[in-house]
Amino acid sequence: MSNIKAIRRKTTAIERLLRVALYLVLISVAAIYLLPFIVMLITSLKDVEEIRTGTLLSLPASLHFDSWSKAWSSACTGSTCDGISPFFLNSFQIVIPAVIISTVLGAINGYVISMWKFRGSDLFFAALLIGCFIPFQVILLPMARTLGWLGIANTTTGLVFVHVVYGVAFTTLFFRNFYQSVPGELVKAARLDGAGFFTIFYRIILPISTPIIVVTVIWQFTQIWNDFLFGVAFSGFDTQPVTVALNNLVNTSFGGKEYNVDMAAAIMAALPTLIVYVLAGKYFVRGLTAGAVKG
Amino acid sequence: MANLVIDNVIKRYGQTEVLKGINIAIEAGEFLILVGPSGCGKSTLMNSIAGLEEVTEGRILIDDKDVTYANPKDRDIAMVFQSYALYPNMTVEQNISFGLEMRKVPKEDRDIEVKRVAEMLQITHLLHRKPAQLSGGQRQRVAMGRALARRPQLYLFDEPLSNLDAKLRVEMRTEIKKLHQKLGTTIVYVTHDQIEAMTLADRIAVMKDGEVQQLGTPQEIYDNPANLFVAGFMGSPAMNFIPTKVVATDTGPMLELDAVQKTLLPFPNKACLESYVGKTIMLGLRPEMITEPQAHKDGQPFVITTEINVEVTEPMGADTMILTRVKENEINCRSHPAYPAKPGDNIKMMFDTSKAVAFDQETGVRLDV
Repeated sequence: MSNIKAIRRKTTAIERLLRVALYLVLISVAAIYLLPFIVMLITSLKDVEEIRTGTLLSLPASLHFDSWSKAWSSACTGSTCDGISPFFLNSFQIVIPAVIISTVLGAINGYVISMWKFRGSDLFFAALLIGCFIPFQVILLPMARTLGWLGIANTTTGLVFVHVVYGVAFTTLFFRNFYQSVPGELVKAARLDGAGFFTIFYRIILPISTPIIVVTVIWQFTQIWNDFLFGVAFSGFDTQPVTVALNNLVNTSFGGKEYNVDMAAAIMAALPTLIVYVLAGKYFVRGLTAGAVKG
Repeated sequence: MANLVIDNVIKRYGQTEVLKGINIAIEAGEFLILVGPSGCGKSTLMNSIAGLEEVTEGRILIDDKDVTYANPKDRDIAMVFQSYALYPNMTVEQNISFGLEMRKVPKEDRDIEVKRVAEMLQITHLLHRKPAQLSGGQRQRVAMGRALARRPQLYLFDEPLSNLDAKLRVEMRTEIKKLHQKLGTTIVYVTHDQIEAMTLADRIAVMKDGEVQQLGTPQEIYDNPANLFVAGFMGSPAMNFIPTKVVATDTGPMLELDAVQKTLLPFPNKACLESYVGKTIMLGLRPEMITEPQAHKDGQPFVITTEINVEVTEPMGADTMILTRVKENEINCRSHPAYPAKPGDNIKMMFDTSKAVAFDQETGVRLDV
């Protein structure tokens, strides 16, 4: 015992003070970062009268959950008053197919660009990369024309199409970079074993792609779920995603502003992306750094 | 098992010619080694045989069938890669049977084949592991097992041992040789390790800059190198190259060695030196041909004893390498460990030129053939 004590590192008073300071800084930075969410949460639990007194940071005197149920099912978004729940369904109908299609296309693109190089494949990749840098606003008008021409304007399909087209540049980049670190000899070996293009992809490449699939799905899910601009520009009345509905809810008021309902709706609209991060955040970080270290 | 003919194969990438007309023919069951420094085109040639890269000109025949433009899978070949390229998501068993599955071999037959191969390579206990759970040597065995399971006509090995540590490399080398003797398969094997080349090959093709410098048995290449490059590449420690002046004597031209004292060395093929009298040629002499004076060799033709100055000694156990200097050139000699030699000493050494070779100093072309 005495031995263990003897070799223990001595901490001086200054070191301890620095450690306390470090934690204080970390806690206060975390608090600043969390503050908007905390304000949203406590505001959503107050009633309208209490909000009007202007005590933004004080805890609610009593908990009121009726603003949550109102936001979900009976608040008015423009001319309808069904809350934001119907738009949740719209968002999922857009997000799920768009995420799946753009991820699959990105995976195949990345696979081809890194492992089946063809004449001009680098140029093709460079062209795709430019897609990552095109601002949303630039493609609004041409895309509106294209959707009209394809006959899918104001439909869920149209929005899925827009998100897939815009997302493929990113997903291809992700998968291509990941596959750069996969040895090309795997594909050669499989070709000699007699496997074809899709067999190699499906049996050998996809099973080792889990980290990058997780990254891509999270990225695409967050991007598409949070998208407002495409949603407001290309959706029809009954295909609006939840972000557009949230905006409408906040902008529609009869008499006084119901901040508690607005806050509840905003939290609900943000919840799916939050859940995805909490569940898969670990894999997200792991996937981003994958490839840097060889298994 | 099949023979392999590489008929004037040329490969160009844009303007650069990587293979400049390769001609190699090997018999069924032969073990051919492609050896050369990196960038010599040996891996490109290997990929061309496998069909992973298309050749620009020329033909490749396997078992007398023209496969120049055939798909890799239709050539009936198997390849072992330097990185092993095991499928990371599959178990050892699945790795070995994947090729059979792709060829639509029924499940029962695949199981029998996996069992046979696993027993042959002693990896039966590893069948249910993933590649990540294996050591380097075990992965190497699995990679070979994957190639063996299909029983192809031709095996290609692309530097299969270069990722192993020294001891394991020697073990696996012997293993591969045993396997070849047992199965009698046709093998093309790429390496940059000239010891691997010497020990394994039936025939060696020494390559440089996209050309075959020499194709022959290991002993031919060791004793009769076609040019300066081959002579310097094969053998460890490398052949000594000594620039020597050709001087005319009563008994024909001899080579002037400028060690501690000037010594005239005889040369087997005098005729080729006639036109070089007065000029300097490159004498090639293997280290084992410069030894301590050996009584039984005394008086033999082409054996001369002279004094050298010891610069460095490197005891290797079985023998000791003595480094000396002739003018600017370092020379390695192989002596008995008991022979006393200390750095700085002038000692007697025996030069045996019966197997010496001569090259043109500028072109590197062999003179005495």
